[in-house]
Amino acid sequence: MGKEVQQVLNVGIDLGTSRSAISASNGEKFVVESFVGWPVDMVAKKVLKRAVLIGHEALSNRSMLDLHRPLERGLLKEGSEKDVEAVRELLRHLLTLVGAKVDGTGTTRAVVGVPAAALRTNKQYLRNALKGIVDNLMIVSEPFAVAYGLEALLHSLIIDIGAGTTDFVVMRGRYPTEEDQRTLTNAGDFVDEQLMKLVQTRYPDAVFTVYMVREWKEKHSFVGNPKGPVIVQAPVRGVPTDLDITIEMRAACEALVAPAVETMIDLISKVEPEFQEKVRNNVILSGGGGLIPGLAEALKKGLDQIGGGHVRALEDPVFIGSDGGLLLAQDAPDSDWEKLTA
Amino acid sequence: MGKLNRVKRRLVSGAVSDNLETMRGFGPWTLQRRRGSEAWIRRTYMVLLPVSLLASTLLVSAVTGEFPFVDDRRATMSVGSPMQPSPAVVSAVDAKKNAAPRPSPTEKVFTELPVPIDVAALDLSVRRVILDAGHGGSDPGTVSGPLLEKDITLDINVRLERMLKQAGFDVEVTRHDDRTLPLRQRANIANDSSGDIFVSVHVNSIRGSHAIRGIETYYLGPTDDPILNELAASENRGSGYTLADYRRLLEGIYADVRQDESRALAEAIQKNLHGDLVAVNPSLENWGVRKAPFVVLVATEMPAILAEVACLSNQEEARLLETGKYRQQIADALFKGIVAYARVRGGEAEKGI
Ligand SMILES: Nc1ncnc2c1ncn2[C@@H]1O[C@H](COP(=O)(O)OP(=O)(O)O)[C@@H](O)[C@H]1O
Ligand SMILES: [Mg+2]
Ligand SMILES: [Zn+2]
Repeated sequence: MGKEVQQVLNVGIDLGTSRSAISASNGEKFVVESFVGWPVDMVAKKVLKRAVLIGHEALSNRSMLDLHRPLERGLLKEGSEKDVEAVRELLRHLLTLVGAKVDGTGTTRAVVGVPAAALRTNKQYLRNALKGIVDNLMIVSEPFAVAYGLEALLHSLIIDIGAGTTDFVVMRGRYPTEEDQRTLTNAGDFVDEQLMKLVQTRYPDAVFTVYMVREWKEKHSFVGNPKGPVIVQAPVRGVPTDLDITIEMRAACEALVAPAVETMIDLISKVEPEFQEKVRNNVILSGGGGLIPGLAEALKKGLDQIGGGHVRALEDPVFIGSDGGLLLAQDAPDSDWEKLTA
Repeated sequence: MGKLNRVKRRLVSGAVSDNLETMRGFGPWTLQRRRGSEAWIRRTYMVLLPVSLLASTLLVSAVTGEFPFVDDRRATMSVGSPMQPSPAVVSAVDAKKNAAPRPSPTEKVFTELPVPIDVAALDLSVRRVILDAGHGGSDPGTVSGPLLEKDITLDINVRLERMLKQAGFDVEVTRHDDRTLPLRQRANIANDSSGDIFVSVHVNSIRGSHAIRGIETYYLGPTDDPILNELAASENRGSGYTLADYRRLLEGIYADVRQDESRALAEAIQKNLHGDLVAVNPSLENWGVRKAPFVVLVATEMPAILAEVACLSNQEEARLLETGKYRQQIADALFKGIVAYARVRGGEAEKGI
């Protein structure tokens, strides 16, 4: 009863493999990196003055932390207490950022978008893992939240290229079923690994980490013809040295194209023939990986094999998923929310 | 705009029921291989399956096709209203709370089991089809001018019945004339005559949108049976496995097999309906197969679907429905769908289809 007079805060949360975002009905929005770390020992704890660190802070202090990226490959590893605790911390942190009351004086309803693979294989586990943090909880697949946020609900294909996974969903006016969705592990992390290997092969004496490689990628990624040489710096035998990695960058990024085209064509071929053209012309590229220049064009070229189409890349994908989750939260009737206790 | 909202509502309710299913313990499916055979089973059941006694009972059930407690189920169905979701949800959550602290190396427990449920071992071949013409008597259903849903559905079913009988099926109908018939009675007719499948024919009407027309087929979604859940919750106290666990388990599998079969039937029918009708009615949209707790689907004991075969709110479609030719085309498509399903179920040899 008392709940009705309490303020309801609706939030949409995108629990990503590398970044997590929150959009709240009070207008607040935040994004953090999906890293959670616990100090490894007493010394670290004293230095860091915190029991747990989240996001960028966790990443920059990683040498002192037991660092977790709980949904790393798009899944929440079952049986890993630490990963479960990490997701919970992440969720709590996001809620605190938007000012959600966690002391029981307000009602928080959350739609949480997770990688499609996690929803497919550990729905229940996830739901249990997120228990007790919000009052009402709805878990959906992240590409679905993106589609909902864009109102691309009918005859569209969403390709969400994240860090751990690339999720595909064909929207056909219904809640997506198994056959409407695909997941590939060819995504951002995969590009990082490829790039790392290629650069190592070409410059065996250069010293660099995967974090550096990711930065290079986010700055210089491209598919197709280069706009200019890609030059980065790394120490070679102790000396900071310019490395030309143009060819490597292109090869690493283009490794995404063939599997994506194949998956796209496979999904489109399963759509009723009369709607295929609509879907082909309504392919939407989202996620951080969708920002790779030239990728949309390359995918569009792939569609030429089946009659051509159009691929649009979202320019600012950071909050699309969490905004979609928020819309869903607001559109779900109170009567439904009451059943979705968490 | 109207259509967008309609689609949004559908998506929201899809997301909600998916979550409710998860809350009720419908875990994801896992493919289990054992002694050369394989089967899909819900992960949840692995947690619940405690002892080999249970397993062997299940095995026997799977082979004979008989489920202990099915009679209880029938009793609960006729006593309570199966359509009150909230208390069921609450007790399902409670039940899970109780189940949580069990120390269970889940995968291991399961691999100790013999062969799990194999749908093919259940005798699900299709001999008797129950046809249900929506509405009737004082309930006209959807109306467009002189056209009444109850008349259209009856006409289609009469045509369909003829064809099915010619093809060697037994056919029972819930009504063969214009009469008022409550939903529960329709289900009783179906159950009493031991139908293998139940096909309910309806005609849609989209409020506020005359422009669109489409076809959709429903099957039974997860039911929130409050009685069953109450039972489980009250008997699930303490830490050990109880009779209620056992019962719920069998119940769940029974329901799942039926639900999967219903979905397969719905898919076969929807595919043929839309596939055939779009050829003569090009603007017809395919709204797909959907889950819903229609009373008539809840209370029937066999795979059951409800097909919305046309849209009376669309003027062009209404004109088509006036013609016997189009109603025959609908009947033809339904027939093909039923036969396609029956084929897969392996009953074709006996009927020479
Ligand atoms: N400009 C960019 N070019 C190429 N890749 C990028 C760019 N910006 C971000 N990324 C990559 O996108 C991935 C993160 O995308 P995001 O959608 O946030 O992932 P997730 O939802 O899995 O957390 C990372 O692999 C990141 O390196
Ligand atoms: Mg994402
Ligand atoms: Zn009707």
